[in-house]
Amino acid sequence: MQFEDLAGRALDDAVARGCDYLDIRFDIGRAERVEVRNGVVASLADAASTGYGIRALVDGAWGFSAASDLTDRGVDDAVARAIGLARASASVSRTPLAAAPTIAYVDSFATRVERDPRDVSLGERVALLLEAERALHVGSAIAVGRAWIDLWQADKYFYSTIGSKIEQRIVQSGGGITALAVGGGDVQERSFPGDRGLYLSGGWEVVSGARLAENAARIGEEAVALLAAPQCPSGTRDVILGGSQVSLQIHESCGHPAELDRVMGWEANFSGTSFLELAQLDRLRYGSNGVTIRIDNTLPGGMATCGYDDEGTKSCASDIIREGLLVGYEMSNDTARAIGRTSNACVRAQSWEHVPMIRMCNLNLLPGNVPFEGLFEDIKDGVYMESNRSWSIDDRRLNFQFGCQIGWEIKNGRRGRMLKNPTYAGMTPQFWNSCDAVGDADSWFAWGTPNCGKGEPMQTGRTTQAAAPARFRNVAVGVGYEG
Amino acid sequence: MKAERREAIARRILGRSPADQCEVLVEYSNQALTRFTHENVHQNVAQTDVSVSVRAIVDGRTGVARSNDIGDDALNGTLERAIAIAKLAPQDLAQPALPVGGKTAPPDDAYDDATATADAALRARLVGTMFDVAEGSAVWSAGYVSSGTDGITVANSNGAMASFDGTQARANVKMSAADASGFAEGLSARVADLDVASIAATAAEKALDTRAPRGVEPGAWTVILEPAAFAELLAYLSEHFSAQSFDEGSSFFSGRLGESLLGTNVTIRDDYAHPSNPSMPFDYEGQPKARVTLVENGVVRSIVTDSYWAAKLKRENTGHALPAPNADGPQALNLVVEPGTASREELIARTPRGLLVSRFWYIRTVDGKQTIVTGMTRDGTYLIENGKLAGGVRNLRFNQSIVEALRHCEFSSELRRSGGYSYSMVVPTVKIEGFTFTSTTEF
Repeated sequence: MQFEDLAGRALDDAVARGCDYLDIRFDIGRAERVEVRNGVVASLADAASTGYGIRALVDGAWGFSAASDLTDRGVDDAVARAIGLARASASVSRTPLAAAPTIAYVDSFATRVERDPRDVSLGERVALLLEAERALHVGSAIAVGRAWIDLWQADKYFYSTIGSKIEQRIVQSGGGITALAVGGGDVQERSFPGDRGLYLSGGWEVVSGARLAENAARIGEEAVALLAAPQCPSGTRDVILGGSQVSLQIHESCGHPAELDRVMGWEANFSGTSFLELAQLDRLRYGSNGVTIRIDNTLPGGMATCGYDDEGTKSCASDIIREGLLVGYEMSNDTARAIGRTSNACVRAQSWEHVPMIRMCNLNLLPGNVPFEGLFEDIKDGVYMESNRSWSIDDRRLNFQFGCQIGWEIKNGRRGRMLKNPTYAGMTPQFWNSCDAVGDADSWFAWGTPNCGKGEPMQTGRTTQAAAPARFRNVAVGVGYEG
Repeated sequence: MKAERREAIARRILGRSPADQCEVLVEYSNQALTRFTHENVHQNVAQTDVSVSVRAIVDGRTGVARSNDIGDDALNGTLERAIAIAKLAPQDLAQPALPVGGKTAPPDDAYDDATATADAALRARLVGTMFDVAEGSAVWSAGYVSSGTDGITVANSNGAMASFDGTQARANVKMSAADASGFAEGLSARVADLDVASIAATAAEKALDTRAPRGVEPGAWTVILEPAAFAELLAYLSEHFSAQSFDEGSSFFSGRLGESLLGTNVTIRDDYAHPSNPSMPFDYEGQPKARVTLVENGVVRSIVTDSYWAAKLKRENTGHALPAPNADGPQALNLVVEPGTASREELIARTPRGLLVSRFWYIRTVDGKQTIVTGMTRDGTYLIENGKLAGGVRNLRFNQSIVEALRHCEFSSELRRSGGYSYSMVVPTVKIEGFTFTSTTEF
């Protein structure tokens, strides 16, 4: 096999050159996107990319080179470049940061796929989107309708000098619809499912299960109705967030601050640092007792579900927040070793040409025991919000302000009139400590995010934050629209 | 990969294409980045790739295929895939002919051989200089130095054939003290232009100046936004100049060309050839780029187009297409703001009470139509009292209409290039009256 031969050459070369550790990860990536916009196929594209990334460890420092030249010479050059980069890192660094992984695996993994997307003709894909997009146009106020499908497949082959040999096929699929209504000097948007669409690991069954066409008319009607809806009031209210918005809240206010590279300052110049400092571990009351947030990279359907992460660590589950208490981080080998723990397999690279780094993987708020309708029962004056529209949080992940596409007034335990431009804001630990109810397993869903940005050079990660709707008390709402 | 080789690949595909129209985009990238924290390099990466994208148009039906395999058989396969996709696509009779291209010349100083070939040892020396500054100032550093080159060739069956090679070098650093931080950056097409000692010293000075930050009340403030902050804010206005958002009604400027909507001192251009930010002189369809005056003395003058939107709106094609397939419409990616006459120091000296912002973070749209955005200050936020910098303040969140801010502003005389991962522009420092902060954070 070509990759195994090239890998053997790279590993032998690394040993001969005195490299302390080296791994090479081949990746055959395939991305297909179909997008319909206002009745026209705006995107019908198929992209394939094959190459390899090499990590070399020398004197406690890393170098990483990536190339697409699948010849002996190409691999030789890339090995030399990675080792040269590692030596340059070591030459200027004040203290060694890195150490070689110690556990080797020989194994394989493949995403469970019910219907291979390759068996679905382009004609069928386009027809599904044209039907869904057409149904969004419920009136002349709909200025833009969009419907899209994304299909990804990655075949990865990982080899290392400690003996790992791991083959994986990861298949992820998704799709969604959006209606943009324009009128009276206002613009309102509604999307489905959630704000970004439905994204899961799996095959065509993910797309067909999204029921885009069946929900399109409702989404179009809601977008139009929002133009005439009253503004969300400003003040302090009890709030219920829909499941996809709770998912985003987890993503931004727990997922990112719990990345141990951020905690240790590795992302300080760009993504920022974290308020979840090491001194807070096992001490900080992050949320209420009902808040347990768990990494689970074995979750069926999770976008980050795989057998092994991109530095060859076996997928597992571990808690970040247990009954409100901060008990863990998302970790790599190096960062885990620095705090005396072992990696929980949270390292991913966007593609062969990207360096593996800590990424938020499947990070899920465990379900509570309150049925969705029960969340409303004792709210006298509140707002129910769904589907994210705007998200911003400070660079230590404390002060946040989020906006949703749509809201509804809650009066005396009942959902009332529609509200537009609902926003809410707060400080992360106070907010999660104000959570007094999480929806039950029936309302819990593995919401996927296909476009999480982090790192320099910037990488896009695919992640899941499974969540149910949840209730929060005394929240600032209507922020940004006062007066 | 040199332009001649990229053009040969393009010609090979065009020569074999049976499609009614065919476009080939060949992109070469060779980039390296040395990233550090706490005076240690934790990430040192280099990436090289060539990719070929083919857009085939058959009977008004369009398909796009992309691959990074440039072997002869693979190129045939990519072309065949694009045609196969096109044949299955619905017909779009509004799709205009691909541009015929035209003569273009790269801006001066867009390419520097020393930057294209800069090695890891050079970048290590540069980050080592910044480490020395950090240690000398008793702060810690986090940032990167990057260098590299990109080459692009766009060709089509209607005769367009355009190539561009550019280089980029960048130093970006945050210096952190116990309770404060400072940021500075430098961007150029020439790695030799990066004065990393000065960049590091500026960041360290900000960290030290803003120690023991005090809390201030949110509300309407006079602010002075340094270029990194102003550029990030302005990036959220650029999509309003797209013909697509303009036509569909989501742009603030929709139907308002010729109206005076910003301050009379505000002139904004899209200029690919500005000497501080030289970039490709054609777009991703091979159309020569026009240098477009978007706002002149507060009056909205123009929008940017690509071939599709130029035909649809019966406007000139300004050459602002993104790579196909593109659902986002044409975009103005090289904004330049006309400077004022006062220096940055004079703007500060004329401010009785205000805030100076070094950098924003996580700006997001709150209300697109009204250009209201929210975001946080970070890495060097100062109080200004009686015309002088008076120490650091804890960071604040703003909610602000960009258009409203640009009705009450004054620009400095100095222009700087600044950029994020999705924008690159040339802007002055700006002073804005009545900038709305809505909350504060704990640091």
